[in-house]
Amino acid sequence: MLRYLAKRGFTYLVMIFLTTSAGYFLAVSSLKPALLEQERIPRPTPEQVANSMRLKGLDPDLNPWERYVDWLTGIVTRWDWGRSPNGAFINAEFGDRVWISTRLFLASIVLTLVIGVALGVYSAARQYKFQDRVITSYSYLAYIVPAPIAYFLVQLGAININETVGNRIFFVTGISTPGMEPGWAQFVDMVGHYAVPTVAITLVGWGSYQIAQRQYLLDNVNADFVRTARAKGLTRNQAISRHALRVSFIPVAQSIAFTIPAIFAGGFFAEKIFAWPGVGSWSIDAISLQDVNAATATLAYGSVIFALGAILADFATTLVDPRVRVQ
Amino acid sequence: MTNLNAVDPAAVAQDAHLENADVVIGKSTIIFRRFLRNKTAVAGLVIFLALVVFSFVGNFFTTWDKETIDPFNIGMPPSAEHYLGTSQAGIDLYAMTVEGTRISILIGLIVGLVSVLIAAVYGCTMAYFGGKVDKVMLFVLEALIMMPALLVVAVATSGGGANFKQNLPSWLLLIIVLLIFSWMGTARLIRSLSMSLMQRDFVKAAQYMGVPPRRIVWRHLVPNIGSLLVLDITRGVTGAILAEVAFSFIGIGIKVPDVSLGVLIGAATSQVQTFPWMFWVPLAVMFLLTGSLAMMNDGLRDAFDPSSSSVGKARKTSARKNRAEMKTP
Amino acid sequence: MSSETTTGAFEPTPSTVERLHVAGLHAPTDAVLSVRDLNVRFNSENGVVHAVRGVDFDLLAGKTLGIVGESGSGKSVTSLAIMGLLPPTAEVTGSVRLHGSELLGLSDKAMCAYRGNDLAMVFQDPLSSLTPVYTVGAQIVEALTIHNPAMSKQAKEARAVELLAMVGIPSPKDRLRAFPHEFSGGMRQRVMIAIAIANNPRVLIADEPTTALDVTIQAQVLEVLHTAQEETGAAVVMITHDLGVVAGMADDIMVMYAGKPVETGMVDEIYYNPRMPYTLGLLGAVPRVDVSEKSSLIPIEGIPPNLIHAPTGCSFAPRCPLATDACLEGEPALLPVAGSGPHSAACIKSDSLGQDVDGHEVFSAPPVPVSRFDAIPRNERATVLQLNDVRKHFPLTKGALLKKRIGTVKAVDGLSFDIREGECFSIVGESGSGKTTTLLEIMEFHKDQDGEVVIGGISNKKATDARTKSAMRRELQMVFQDPTGALDPRFTVYEVLAEPLQNAGMDKPAIRKRIMELMKLVGLQPDHVNRFPNQFSGGQRQRIGIARALAVNPKLVVLDEPVSALDVSVQAGVINLLDKLRAELGLSYLLVAHDLSVVRHISNRVAVMYLGKIVEVGEVDRVFDNPRHPYTRALLSAIPVPDPHLERTRERIILKGDLPSPLDAPKGCNFATRCPVFAALPAPKQEKCLTLEPPLEAAGPSSAVQVLEAGSAEPVDQRFACFFPDGELDEEMLVVHDSAEHNAP
Repeated sequence: MLRYLAKRGFTYLVMIFLTTSAGYFLAVSSLKPALLEQERIPRPTPEQVANSMRLKGLDPDLNPWERYVDWLTGIVTRWDWGRSPNGAFINAEFGDRVWISTRLFLASIVLTLVIGVALGVYSAARQYKFQDRVITSYSYLAYIVPAPIAYFLVQLGAININETVGNRIFFVTGISTPGMEPGWAQFVDMVGHYAVPTVAITLVGWGSYQIAQRQYLLDNVNADFVRTARAKGLTRNQAISRHALRVSFIPVAQSIAFTIPAIFAGGFFAEKIFAWPGVGSWSIDAISLQDVNAATATLAYGSVIFALGAILADFATTLVDPRVRVQ
Repeated sequence: MTNLNAVDPAAVAQDAHLENADVVIGKSTIIFRRFLRNKTAVAGLVIFLALVVFSFVGNFFTTWDKETIDPFNIGMPPSAEHYLGTSQAGIDLYAMTVEGTRISILIGLIVGLVSVLIAAVYGCTMAYFGGKVDKVMLFVLEALIMMPALLVVAVATSGGGANFKQNLPSWLLLIIVLLIFSWMGTARLIRSLSMSLMQRDFVKAAQYMGVPPRRIVWRHLVPNIGSLLVLDITRGVTGAILAEVAFSFIGIGIKVPDVSLGVLIGAATSQVQTFPWMFWVPLAVMFLLTGSLAMMNDGLRDAFDPSSSSVGKARKTSARKNRAEMKTP
Repeated sequence: MSSETTTGAFEPTPSTVERLHVAGLHAPTDAVLSVRDLNVRFNSENGVVHAVRGVDFDLLAGKTLGIVGESGSGKSVTSLAIMGLLPPTAEVTGSVRLHGSELLGLSDKAMCAYRGNDLAMVFQDPLSSLTPVYTVGAQIVEALTIHNPAMSKQAKEARAVELLAMVGIPSPKDRLRAFPHEFSGGMRQRVMIAIAIANNPRVLIADEPTTALDVTIQAQVLEVLHTAQEETGAAVVMITHDLGVVAGMADDIMVMYAGKPVETGMVDEIYYNPRMPYTLGLLGAVPRVDVSEKSSLIPIEGIPPNLIHAPTGCSFAPRCPLATDACLEGEPALLPVAGSGPHSAACIKSDSLGQDVDGHEVFSAPPVPVSRFDAIPRNERATVLQLNDVRKHFPLTKGALLKKRIGTVKAVDGLSFDIREGECFSIVGESGSGKTTTLLEIMEFHKDQDGEVVIGGISNKKATDARTKSAMRRELQMVFQDPTGALDPRFTVYEVLAEPLQNAGMDKPAIRKRIMELMKLVGLQPDHVNRFPNQFSGGQRQRIGIARALAVNPKLVVLDEPVSALDVSVQAGVINLLDKLRAELGLSYLLVAHDLSVVRHISNRVAVMYLGKIVEVGEVDRVFDNPRHPYTRALLSAIPVPDPHLERTRERIILKGDLPSPLDAPKGCNFATRCPVFAALPAPKQEKCLTLEPPLEAAGPSSAVQVLEAGSAEPVDQRFACFFPDGELDEEMLVVHDSAEHNAP
């Protein structure tokens, strides 16, 4: 198992390296931070701009290959991902933003999975009945709404609630109100800030899990081994819950591991709409600010998360499916 | 489907189901009949065709176009003059919606069709050659899956991209970027399906007869994955339309002066309280569009799936009723 | 399974009383299970399918009822209806009484008290019938827990070990913790039986329990079922399509056709005195492995009726050669016939049938075709295919995710044989013996192969350019096992048959003409060429496959299990066709089949393969009548024969265990691990088997044969690879059933 993991890990490492490098070249050849500097007032001379860029390791006179080598050397030797045009260090900013993103998505990921799988099982058990039709229709609806618009609609809803109540219960943007005293008030404030994005992401996310879990379970409901279990003396429902359900988890377990990168990747939209300064919104801002290093760092981060998800998927499958277990 | 890279478990489940249920069906007429029998699917097809027609001929019903400013009607609600009101700049919203619908459908159709084409060629090539070629191509495919599409979209459409930008309208640029990132899932699916088809006896029979590989692929493989391709085209079109709206909504897809549904929806968010129609009208059009496609996809899937039980059930209840009546003399 | 209909149907109306009398296999009072007027209806897209129509039987403790029928005859549905395992959409009426208490109409929950406790079932496909994510032990323990909630954990575990040991699983204690995928098919079927008998059921239903298994494993599993019945004293319902399987086991037989029992009675009555043309046909449609006399098989033309339409006359009438207008007027009832025991048949002509009626005449079986090559001595005929020392080794890897090479599988290991013009050469062996790989090596010949494949005089070593290759391809064509999978579902028959012809560069009018010829040749209507494969029955599809293979006039046709996917009655027609084509067109066949009866019927020469090697080869009658290699002996003895007397009295060799894993293959003789002769040998002789590899050679004939062959000087066409042919067999692997109990009336 360890050797297998090492092998997979290595493959993904190579992939991460290649995508990140490709991303760097794309960024370095299309993003020109010097152009933005020239819009400053008072307008700096080209020499001044070049100087300031050179100090930050963003020398526009070097060709992309030379800059790539410099950048890579920095990472490999000092774990230094470079600086932004405004002088900030990527490494420092990165930590903060990863923490923010993680806080935003952790609860949503758990809720998405639990609700999706639970509703999938519930609707499969009531196939073609009213509850099934409602739940499954909702999931298909979630399928045809672009995520940012769904987030926006939830935001609108929260604003409406606030207005109806006449009190600001939900905060539709931001992480927290600055300057809060620790204690109950701060906790309420935190809940107020977390509620809307968490609900929004969960509402959009669970649909595909519900459909998948429902489908896998239905595929297994009439399996031969369920018939065997019934022949032993289990009722149909017992046989399904003890045998079919467990088997139907195998493919879902695999996709569960991919939820994490999927939600992180989809997080661009959530962070943008709810104004949480996480990794996702950073990556978009980085592009409008012509920030080569930040853009590349976020891309690398996305790749790493994806690779982790893939390895996690293998783990999850091994856990639930004895057939792939390596002795 | 807003994130092109996310592995969509529902789609995977559906595809696995299709693969198991043996997509291969004898005659296209059966499929067509089954499709027509599905009321929802036919409704979806009708709505979709209506929107396509609307997007092309809608302009003839108004004197306004998407560029002319009406200085007397700025931010006005719907009226006889402006069917859907005007924007804050005084541009006719109806004209913009027609134009936006056309661009969105265009993006959807081009991306949906071309990406499935790329996927089919790539997937079949992998399955056909196998071995080293397959391994390398699979690596490239997975690497592309890893790239966050959104970043590249952003870089290409907003950041520098200066040299492209002057020559290409932003919608064409978006099409290109969406294309690059939308075919991998389908390609992987086609690869596994073709590989299992290669193991089928009728393909082996052709090989043993000495039929050249090119002809085997063309005569046996392609027709037999056809149903999957059709399903993936409708899904791809939906995905592309949703992606366009999502990207444009947060301001990194299509840029003004180009118009699309996403741009219209995105631009209206700030005044959704004061000028609600500006937001809801293009959103409703988008829903009609993606909804009709989803309805069609559903009907197509049922039509392709031999185990579909939708029709049998209706008869069953009536049969049961008949028997019940017979039993009570 | 609506309760109103069921209870309503079992009011003791006069008709039920009559039925009790008519069904009359046994007095109903002491029956463990009695079934009356069982009817099952399903709703399908095309209408209501009446799958089971009026089944009656009584089952006595310790007795075995064999239900025989082809696919779609309603035999499996009957068993599922008894178990209450049909989907809720099925409508079941009639009565099923276990020890007098009614089971039909019980709720799923109430039924659970009986299922797995008094009623148990073994299913057909052992590979999919066990839950993949639970250990075998857990699944057995579950069966115990459901009905004995008070049982202690230790007791349950001990009982599970006992059960596994009973069904013959080696080191049962360790195997409790194994998952189903770690077992072979035969072993999984044993586990299924262990689960079924866990609570000492009164009734054990086995639905085609051995259909998916090899003959040697089939013999083992049947033996286990026999043991299980002895241990539990259960009544057994054995459902099968194979008349051989039940001949030795059953006390009573019920033959089903189109959802209805058409003949019931004591086993001997049914086999020796059939009174229904369908039974007569079925018995004549199966080739016999123990008979060398060549006669054509009885083909039953046509296909079973569609159960959506209620039959107006006898449902077999459209296929029956004896049918008259009277047969079409109302369905004949199952009525008692004169005979030595309880025996009923549903045929208005049952009185005119009986012991002295020959099925071959009734069904007008075609005459035995004679090939023009039959008169020419074998060594004067041209060679169409020759294999010289062909080898195919695969690396054996372990682990589903991380592949680790742990050894080599010698799928084909030094194979040499030749096929002459006009002859049928067969390869037999268990799955895993390398027969399929051999076919692949021939069909996918290329110059870098290990060994030489000579097709039509051209060696694979010279197959460098496309022209030589296509010349070789034209000499040899293939017919596949699964007739459905072998035809592209999107092609019409015309397109299917045109493909090889177009490829050969024929022009359109010529193709058209040839296709019409082909259709007639294989017995299909030429005007059906525009239909799609799914509009044909299985047998017809296989005929299309044969027509395609013959399109380019090959010399050799490779037949990969050509009839194993077909129903018995349809099989006969296809075998007769193959026989006829070989004679008329002077074809040669290379046949791979697991059914040795079919092999004996159709082939001239046979090779027995074991772990990639030929262990015995020779003229078919010689090998089958006088097998020398212990493996051939075991293989032949494992085949059940549709002859109850013979089945009960003959002794059979039951091999121990499965085909060994290639890693355990010993240095000397491959077969030593399972060999019944080896097991009985003294140690010094065993040493020889373990160290030296026996060569394949024509050894001196055994004494018995010597006497027979005294007159002929001709060399005997039989070679085998064993140091101790005709050796004493190990007692433990020999089984003779006590025949007395079965003969009792």
